[in-house]
Amino acid sequence: MTLTIATSLDEVLTALAEGARPIAGGTDLVVGARQGKSPLPDSLVAIDRVAALSQIESADGHIRIGAGVPHRRLMSDTLIVERYTGLADAAALIGSPSTRNVGTIGGNVMNGSPAMDTGAPLLTLGAMVELRSVGNTRQVALSDLWTGPGRTSANPDELCVYIVIPQPPALSGSAYVRLEYRRAMEIAVVGAGASVVVAEDGTIVSGRVAMTSVAPTIVELAGASDAMAGLSLVEAAAVIGAMASDQAVPISDLRGSDRYRRHTIGVMAARALDAAARRAGGEQIGVPVNRSLGIGAAR
Amino acid sequence: MVIAESPRFMRADGPDKVTGSGRYTADLTLTGMLTAKFLYAGVSHARITKLDVTAARHVPGVFAVLTQADVPDIRYGSVADRTLFSDGVIRFEGEVVAAVAAIDTKSAQAALDAIVFEYEELPVINDVEAALEPDTPLVHENWATYDADDDVSRQANVASFTSITRGDVDAALAGADRVISSRYVADASHAVPIEPRGVVAQWEGDRVTIWSSTQVPFQARDGVCEVLELPTNRVRIIVPHLGGGFGGKCGFHYEAHIAALARASRRPVRLVFSREEEFLAPDRRREGMIIEVTSGLNADGTIAGRRSRVLLDNGAYSSDAAFFPHMAAMHALGPYKIDHVHAEASSVYTNHQPSGSVRAPTAPQACWALESHTDELAKAIGMDPVAFRQLNAVDTGATGVTGQVYDEIGLQECIREAVAASAYGDELADDEAVGVAIGWWPTFPGASGAYIKVDSDGKGVIITGAQECGTGAVMTLPYLAAAELGMAPEDFELVYQDTSVGPYDVGATGSQTLLNNGRATVEAARQIAVQLKQLAAEKLEASPDDIVLNGGKAFVAGSPDSGVTIAELAAIAADGEMLLGRGSGAPPETPEAPNTVSCVGDQGMNGWAGPQFSCHAVRIRLDRDTGVVRVLEVNTAHDSGVIINQIGASGQVEGGVLMGIGQALTERTVYGADAKQMNAGLLEYKLQTMADAPPISIHFAEVYTPDMGPNGSKPIAEAPNVATAAAISNAIAKLVGKPVRLLPMTAERVWETLQEDGA
Amino acid sequence: MNEAYELDVNGVRYPINAAMDRNLSSVLRTEVGLTGTKEGCDDCECGACMVLIDGQPVNSCSYLAAQAQGREVTTVEGILDGDNLHPLQRNLLEEGGVQCGFCTPGMIMSAQALLTRNPSPTEEEIRIGLSGNLCRCTGYQRILAAVERTAAES
Repeated sequence: MTLTIATSLDEVLTALAEGARPIAGGTDLVVGARQGKSPLPDSLVAIDRVAALSQIESADGHIRIGAGVPHRRLMSDTLIVERYTGLADAAALIGSPSTRNVGTIGGNVMNGSPAMDTGAPLLTLGAMVELRSVGNTRQVALSDLWTGPGRTSANPDELCVYIVIPQPPALSGSAYVRLEYRRAMEIAVVGAGASVVVAEDGTIVSGRVAMTSVAPTIVELAGASDAMAGLSLVEAAAVIGAMASDQAVPISDLRGSDRYRRHTIGVMAARALDAAARRAGGEQIGVPVNRSLGIGAAR
Repeated sequence: MVIAESPRFMRADGPDKVTGSGRYTADLTLTGMLTAKFLYAGVSHARITKLDVTAARHVPGVFAVLTQADVPDIRYGSVADRTLFSDGVIRFEGEVVAAVAAIDTKSAQAALDAIVFEYEELPVINDVEAALEPDTPLVHENWATYDADDDVSRQANVASFTSITRGDVDAALAGADRVISSRYVADASHAVPIEPRGVVAQWEGDRVTIWSSTQVPFQARDGVCEVLELPTNRVRIIVPHLGGGFGGKCGFHYEAHIAALARASRRPVRLVFSREEEFLAPDRRREGMIIEVTSGLNADGTIAGRRSRVLLDNGAYSSDAAFFPHMAAMHALGPYKIDHVHAEASSVYTNHQPSGSVRAPTAPQACWALESHTDELAKAIGMDPVAFRQLNAVDTGATGVTGQVYDEIGLQECIREAVAASAYGDELADDEAVGVAIGWWPTFPGASGAYIKVDSDGKGVIITGAQECGTGAVMTLPYLAAAELGMAPEDFELVYQDTSVGPYDVGATGSQTLLNNGRATVEAARQIAVQLKQLAAEKLEASPDDIVLNGGKAFVAGSPDSGVTIAELAAIAADGEMLLGRGSGAPPETPEAPNTVSCVGDQGMNGWAGPQFSCHAVRIRLDRDTGVVRVLEVNTAHDSGVIINQIGASGQVEGGVLMGIGQALTERTVYGADAKQMNAGLLEYKLQTMADAPPISIHFAEVYTPDMGPNGSKPIAEAPNVATAAAISNAIAKLVGKPVRLLPMTAERVWETLQEDGA
Repeated sequence: MNEAYELDVNGVRYPINAAMDRNLSSVLRTEVGLTGTKEGCDDCECGACMVLIDGQPVNSCSYLAAQAQGREVTTVEGILDGDNLHPLQRNLLEEGGVQCGFCTPGMIMSAQALLTRNPSPTEEEIRIGLSGNLCRCTGYQRILAAVERTAAES
């Protein structure tokens, strides 16, 4: 195996063009190799020293998060916690402090797992990924990026360089909650992200909801915004919960049966919506919601 | 003597452990050392049709490849159903088919890949009840030819059976005011020490030294001697620091495989397990269990009679599990005053990994079932479950289920104190509840030895056969010796866990180290005390009977200022009759089984020496929408006699409770339809993290227990693991309206129970 | 195929000659010769292999050793206070937070990382900060006490 330690984006893109695979923290690649799931690729390029990938920049009504930004920064960065709170919720729940230290948003998004925590909040926030290869740059919507469990539409020579998220409107809020059996070191049994805009009186104006671990990829709840518009929070949570259970197509595995997942995704979707709407109305609910509001984000 | 919070108990092995300088087995390297790897069956039930290792032996870098054809044809185990390598029939997925020793991991893997291993699959026996059906194939076709103790009752797929009968349970149930039956099912679980096991073996001539992460070095030595046909004095087992055991590293496992590889390759050989191997291969797992209990109640709330039936999943081989049915039967009857009982328990062969001792074997599961049943009894007659236990549980002078009459014990104190420390009876939020359960566990007296020498400068060495697995039991021995000799604990070094140096001890098993080796150490110290007093008497011109040893000096009672230092006495002794003590005190007797009991398959569990008791009260919060349970607080009380080492004993309670929480909620081994484990890793086999751990309070009911451990003590290591899951179950049942009848009580199972009628 | 590179471990520069697919824990334990860093699982779940890289906690079992070039690696062997125990080490012993000791080095490294970035953590912050380190012996209560005491003393 060869390892190139890159310090510039050009170096990375050249290596990718020559068949290398990118590695940042190694939390997926090295663990997978240790478990014997898939051996390490013959050629790796380390991207953790590319300064351009570790910036968080705000401009032109967008935030641009470098793919190499670790979860530790996402969960504590003032701008993200204040405006993109659901993403901070998700980052704070990933693995352990060490996973959050070396694991990156780019790695999470590009692993294509239906259980990734950052996926649902990014989807509800309308995030795009910027993919770059030698001589080519394109932005792809997340719903077009994830094509199946562990699969993306990115080409092997493309690197995810940024996650670009539009600035949320006023009176909006977001949240991510997940069902977990322990308070740490978990992977979502099911999870839900929500972003909503509320009126001054708390009525829901519009919103998006996305679901974790109930389909081959992270999926957005279809028709959510229309269904919740004009409703009170209590009404909207009930409607969204029912829709989530209805639209989910979960599998049965060690973490839960399809029946249990179908039920609990409804619970999580309603709770995510509840937390997001309360944040939109100005309530301070600490990051992550799961730990601020107790088990399974109970109340 | 109590080692209290002040002065603080500092473990002698502590600096090694916190600085990283301490060596565990996987940290050892010897010049020329090879790497061992095993070929596992990977299939649960099959007949080997072809096994050819010729090509593997020619892989570059490979020094030895062994199968059963290369070692003596010997069966071993409590029922002698096991061979080192597969005997031609595969009975569980982790069975070792072949072993290789090679220059590095890659060569070892290449050799495994070159082994020709073919088999025809046989129907898997994946369920204990199915295993008992008459047309189910036998896991061991030749079971009747295997050796076993005469006391082990066996038949076909039943590896061990026990029944206990006292009084007339049919009449008692027929005459009872209310009769209530319950059925509970517990999944298998694992010990999960954080250190995966390791073995290093090196031959010098016809003698082999084996470094092994075992809790029971003498048992490991005897296993090597048995299967490789060697005398005990040519096999030396040394245990480096041991990274936890919890029963998982009891028994004889891979020492002989590695010794045989080292002999064949003429090189030292090292084996280090991955976590997956740690889950799949060893014959140590907490067995799955089905528990059925029927109790008859009198109108006054007393228990008229009880009938219990337990099925234990023995797995493919018997390991040390032959006594499990008798132990499970006792736990399925419980520490209650009942005159009419009948219990039957069978350990049943399946194609699962073998069961073996894991911390308080059989007890947490059986206690969980029985104590959940006990809350059902109290609820049925509208009685408070704590009051029900106060009415029915044994205490000093009471007669238990097998007719044993208890000397002074503290169970009622435990109930009172644990409940008082808890929020039981307080007004709680509607998603919170407190559950209470009681537990018990026997004490295991046994032979054990220690030497002490005090050298010319007055410094001592304790040379013991005892094994330290982390509990601190061996680390407490200097305190016992020092107290006898008026010296400081720091005056003693420890030499331990080396079978060629220390006298015999059964090992870090059965919570017995301080009980048995503590007595031996005290006896050895007392021999030296006699010598010191004689020497001091001569020097001080007094009678030895008047000499006091204290503060590093010997002096005439009442005249502490005019004594002689122990160092001075030691210098005198060094020129003549040296200060050498040895102890292997006769073990305390186990109470006779009362003759009112009839017992088939008696494994010696009817009468318990120094029985330990406990009560745990657990406050939980339930998320009714998801079934997720969070443990908020655990209040414990234990009768483990007088406590010698407060920090050590408290650490045992806290660790046992947390393991119990895991067993209650998240720890579960899942078997597929092919009888293979589906979650052999720490992501899907979920231990509790620090973020999950609740505050734990501890009360010790310090009942002085004569003729047992040193200073009136009883053991402590396993007892705290018995009642926690049961108490959590009772808290869940309060919130759900009925018990969750499957262990662990996972969020999904709690939620499914909430969907049932009556919830 | 082996390649030569250097690692800075506990302030000492070590020449390394190893294959590039080797993980950091393996290189520390064999090439560097420091076995205080333990390996307890296959999937980054136990925390026994925790080291600090530039002061941040990293599971060294799932981190390529070569990626640590040019960074400061700290293992449990590197936190002694001269010849004396580091306060975390001493307090773990005095509070009874050490039993079998196998999780202890990793636990110390996570605690050190936590206290460096947050000298006065709440109980909840300690519990989350050390949640990637599994201990099977202690029930965590005495480890928590040791970290709380260390924070209070500094």
